[in-house]
Amino acid sequence: MTSPSHPLSPALPRWAYAVALLALAVTWVVLQENGLALGHAAEVVHEFFHDGRHALGVPCH
Amino acid sequence: MNSFRGVLLRGLAAGGVAGVLAGLVGLVVVEAPIRAALAVEQARGQVGDGHEHGELVSRGTQVVGGVLAAVVVGVALGALFATAHAGARRWLPRRSPFARSVALSAALFGAAALMPAVKYPANPPGVGDGSTVEYRTVLYLGLIAAGLLVVHGAGVLAARLAHLAEPVRFTAVALAVVAAAVVLLVVFPAGPDQIPADVPAGLLWEFRLASLAETATLWLGLGLAFGLLVDPATRRTRLTSA
Ligand SMILES: [Zn+2]
Repeated sequence: MTSPSHPLSPALPRWAYAVALLALAVTWVVLQENGLALGHAAEVVHEFFHDGRHALGVPCH
Repeated sequence: MNSFRGVLLRGLAAGGVAGVLAGLVGLVVVEAPIRAALAVEQARGQVGDGHEHGELVSRGTQVVGGVLAAVVVGVALGALFATAHAGARRWLPRRSPFARSVALSAALFGAAALMPAVKYPANPPGVGDGSTVEYRTVLYLGLIAAGLLVVHGAGVLAARLAHLAEPVRFTAVALAVVAAAVVLLVVFPAGPDQIPADVPAGLLWEFRLASLAETATLWLGLGLAFGLLVDPATRRTRLTSA
């Protein structure tokens, strides 16, 4: 039995950290990708998400 | 059975809902000032900052991409939020999951959106200097990281002060958070860019408010939707508590 006061705060399994890393990576690609991880394909990604990047307040040109 | 899986799925769903709402806010209020800023940029003639050249992606596609960016980021933040909500047992342990979710999302909005909006406000296209974007990104992410530390510290402090009466504890934590936020806003260096003279102040103001409306929708929408999905008072399926 776990503590009844935290039924919705289950202990984090180890894979939860992998999911969190993946989520950070996705956020990075959408909001920051400037060629570091994807090279030339990044230009298309950058331009495609460009309005969102500005709208969400992320530094850009 | 590990109930974190169910919590994570609810986080993804809540993030998707919040992302769609934020994307629609972007479509309705942020696109207009972006269009006006692009017109200003175009009136300058060709500027050598590496953007908007060669029509890599059409304007219409960029508008779709702008909405999609909010949705994808919303889903990713939903996963992180579910993890933080599950991990942050200290965060208002005696309140309902719904109240904890909304409070946590408000705190994260403050750290990850409001603080940067005050110190390094959002700019439409055609304002930032391409040569300083890396430095500006470091400042922006650094301030967010520092703000998240303050949020974490607030939880730790509240737990440490558990022996105090609730109003006293709340006031003490609130004062500490405000003091820490003020220190961060003063200590972090100013952004390096000057606003170009041809960008109207009214346009800048409109864009920044609209951007804040979108980030507020994203974060608070996430907290509300996640809270509704995990609170025993509203959810239909039961999460195993073992
Ligand atoms: Zn840009």
